[in-house]
Amino acid sequence: MRPDAGHPGRLDLEVVLEERLAPAHASASGPAKTPTAEAPYGTARHDGNAELLRLTGVTKRFPGVVALESVSFDLRRGEVHAVCGENGAGKSTLMKIISGQYPPDDGSIIYKGNECRFASSLEAQAVGIAIIHQELNLVPHLSVAENIFLAREPHRGIFVDRARLRADARRCLDRLGVDIAPGTLVRTLSVAQRQMVEIAKALSLDAEVLIMDEPTSSLTETETSQLFRIIHELKRAGVGIIYISHRLDEMTEIVDRVTVMRDGRYVSTDVFRETTIDKVVARMVGRSLEDKFPPRTSVPTEEVLLSVDQLTRTNVFSPVSFELRRGEILGFAGLMGAGRTEVARAIFGADLPDGGTVRLGNETLAIRSPIDAIRHGIAYLSEDRKANGLSVNMPVASNITLAHMDAVSNRFGFIRFAAEAAVAQRYIDTLGIRTPSVRQIARNLSGGNQQKVVISKWLFRDSRVLFFDEPTRGIDVGAKFAIYELLDRLAAQGIGVVMISSELPEILGMTDRVAVFHEGDLVTILETRQTSQEEIMHYASGRMAASDTPDASGASQ
Amino acid sequence: MSTVTRPSASLANERRKDLIQKFAAFASLIVMILVFSSTSEAFHTVDNAMTVALQVTSIAYLGVAATCVIITGGIDLSVGSVLALSGVVAALAVKAGLPVTVGMLLGIVVGGSCGAVNGLCVTRMRLPPFIATLGMMLVARGLALQITGARPVSGLGEAFGVLGNGSLFKIETIGADGFPDVRFPGIPYPVLLMIVIAVAVSIMLSRTTLGRHIYAVGSNAEAARLSGVNVARVTMFTYVLSGALAGATGCVLMSRLLTAQPNEGVMYELDAIASAVIGGTSLMGGVGTISGTAIGAFVIGILRNGLNMNGVSSFIQQIIIGLVILGTVWIDQLRNRR
Repeated sequence: MRPDAGHPGRLDLEVVLEERLAPAHASASGPAKTPTAEAPYGTARHDGNAELLRLTGVTKRFPGVVALESVSFDLRRGEVHAVCGENGAGKSTLMKIISGQYPPDDGSIIYKGNECRFASSLEAQAVGIAIIHQELNLVPHLSVAENIFLAREPHRGIFVDRARLRADARRCLDRLGVDIAPGTLVRTLSVAQRQMVEIAKALSLDAEVLIMDEPTSSLTETETSQLFRIIHELKRAGVGIIYISHRLDEMTEIVDRVTVMRDGRYVSTDVFRETTIDKVVARMVGRSLEDKFPPRTSVPTEEVLLSVDQLTRTNVFSPVSFELRRGEILGFAGLMGAGRTEVARAIFGADLPDGGTVRLGNETLAIRSPIDAIRHGIAYLSEDRKANGLSVNMPVASNITLAHMDAVSNRFGFIRFAAEAAVAQRYIDTLGIRTPSVRQIARNLSGGNQQKVVISKWLFRDSRVLFFDEPTRGIDVGAKFAIYELLDRLAAQGIGVVMISSELPEILGMTDRVAVFHEGDLVTILETRQTSQEEIMHYASGRMAASDTPDASGASQ
Repeated sequence: MSTVTRPSASLANERRKDLIQKFAAFASLIVMILVFSSTSEAFHTVDNAMTVALQVTSIAYLGVAATCVIITGGIDLSVGSVLALSGVVAALAVKAGLPVTVGMLLGIVVGGSCGAVNGLCVTRMRLPPFIATLGMMLVARGLALQITGARPVSGLGEAFGVLGNGSLFKIETIGADGFPDVRFPGIPYPVLLMIVIAVAVSIMLSRTTLGRHIYAVGSNAEAARLSGVNVARVTMFTYVLSGALAGATGCVLMSRLLTAQPNEGVMYELDAIASAVIGGTSLMGGVGTISGTAIGAFVIGILRNGLNMNGVSSFIQQIIIGLVILGTVWIDQLRNRR
């Protein structure tokens, strides 16, 4: 059995919702503190490895479930303390207790030597505990400076002192070494830049404890290393950082200690240098993980299933040509914004291409919309599950059958509910979706299980070509493994699979060939077995131009 | 363990919430009936029941239409004007010598066309539904006033009044037991039509692929599109349905009055939206039922009727109904936040 540790807990969702509401509320009625641009940075409050925060025996119950059971945790000045655990392990709940969004039912929080009981996130913020959420909380239509000092704007009379606002913001950003003009509108910034703004905001609040929830999940490698540089700076200044991430590999660069949680319980705390990632993972899942990837059982055939010739979208990607064989897993590697998703969407008809042909078998397709693509057996699983993949407030069964309603309805369009439930149950069983019932609302499932629901939708549609866009983003280790196994099984059935992924180990572990994209160009196609992470990065970062390589599509043989 | 208890608990929770919502609206309906029965002699009579039912019909037709549109995440502000336009077109057609049935069908077609224009504005021109239907609200009202010279159209003949004033009587029959069945007091045609429309649309929403697609569009339009749902067509359908039902409402109302008033139905769209919202339809889209809207329509209808019976002035009535809407939606918000 695959322990995918899916906690289809609805509580998590509500938590997320509250998270979204709370900061808005917080800033609206924020403390009338004068903005201190002279923030923690550089100031002398570095007193060695002093303890900043200690939690003992913290317990949190929700109706019907114990979310945290007697958890202990401590944080020192100038350290990065990672908290690891699968989805539903209780990390978010713990962070919400630390940042004052939930009161604990039991246990104590000692912050800088005093026992604390925060009534709201506002109170926690006031004493220097800030959280940077996975989904950033900035106002897109305001400038960077306005966001940093939102509800704390410097005033001159009844007017905002715009000059000082900018100067203060400039100082905050400069301290982080971030090159963003304070007057820029936040909506024009990249995700990475927004994150920097969030950090600047937290520091302007005099934060001494900084909680970062999956900060790198949507960053490129360069942006990640910039973030890490800033984290190192913060450590030097004595800020204690609690770091949550699913990307265990990157932790080696910054993490000092790591605490593992499982099923709402504390498992262990180790000095990171004295343990290994494998040990951490084994503790997270409660078993030793032999391998991160299942052995490939499928063998690609020689038969070309999908052939894309000179597909173009002006200003989005240059002409792209590649072939996909029956039973093959083809990887799309590249940095964020390299055009991988855009190519997949153009083939699927989600965005219309400006030129080029797509052939499936011997048939040239004229795809004007997803409806056409689906009719021909092409499926696309979007990278943003919640935004584009799942109807979160519809039941699991309705989500599974949504792309193929004809199969569960009669010729007058009446749904055959028994048939629908049977179909849904079949996929729940074969894919091991953890849900109490086919009628469960999709939003109540965990990320991994939601992803399986979306996959079920396309399996039920009898797709011949499946595009998986970041299929394992934001889901935990066990669920990832299950999805890899599934990809392999699909390929073994003769389905052509395209896997778009930003995680190179995943590309190397799962694909037969890999198409590398750089800034809207398909630079080259490599045989996975004969390439390396370094070579792929080489092409993906544009250090090797397309002209240096032989004919791109020919490189497959 | 927690893995097991969590989802099942949440499912039960979900069901309980659903039940509470339905029950709360329904219970308040019952309470209202009890209160009004005790405060007013005339309230609890068959005659008054029929009056209420008749008054509710127009809110209910429009409420049903509004529910479909709102489930897709849209809104239709034009129904009040469209019903006036449809009604006067039907009346003018009859006046010009067309048979009543044809005239009224023409009225419904005009309503459907207005809905189609709304749908095109929303799906093709990508106007926000609020703006598209606000425009139609002015255009349709203006047209109705223009073609009638702002004068009521009367002298339409008795046949025109049948739909609004007639009722279906059950004919006395001898049952299997040998006793004659009691003569049925008669169900007005508009009430009959209301039941037919509500049941038909309810079945459409809950049991057909089209209905499923309507919910899917409102729940997550992009996910629906990427799943191969023809989002434009589904959206279009709801606006055409809304227009056509507004047309039917216009015909029924004008028939009841035996006169076509070009300024009939002002603010009816707000009653329609209110009935849907009281019945639990979410303005965010993706959530709503016809049974809920029916309850909502009766809440408004009975509140008005009961307050009338108790001699409450129409100004105070507006205040009370406004507060009821605020209260219901607030309760709904509280429920969703839990």
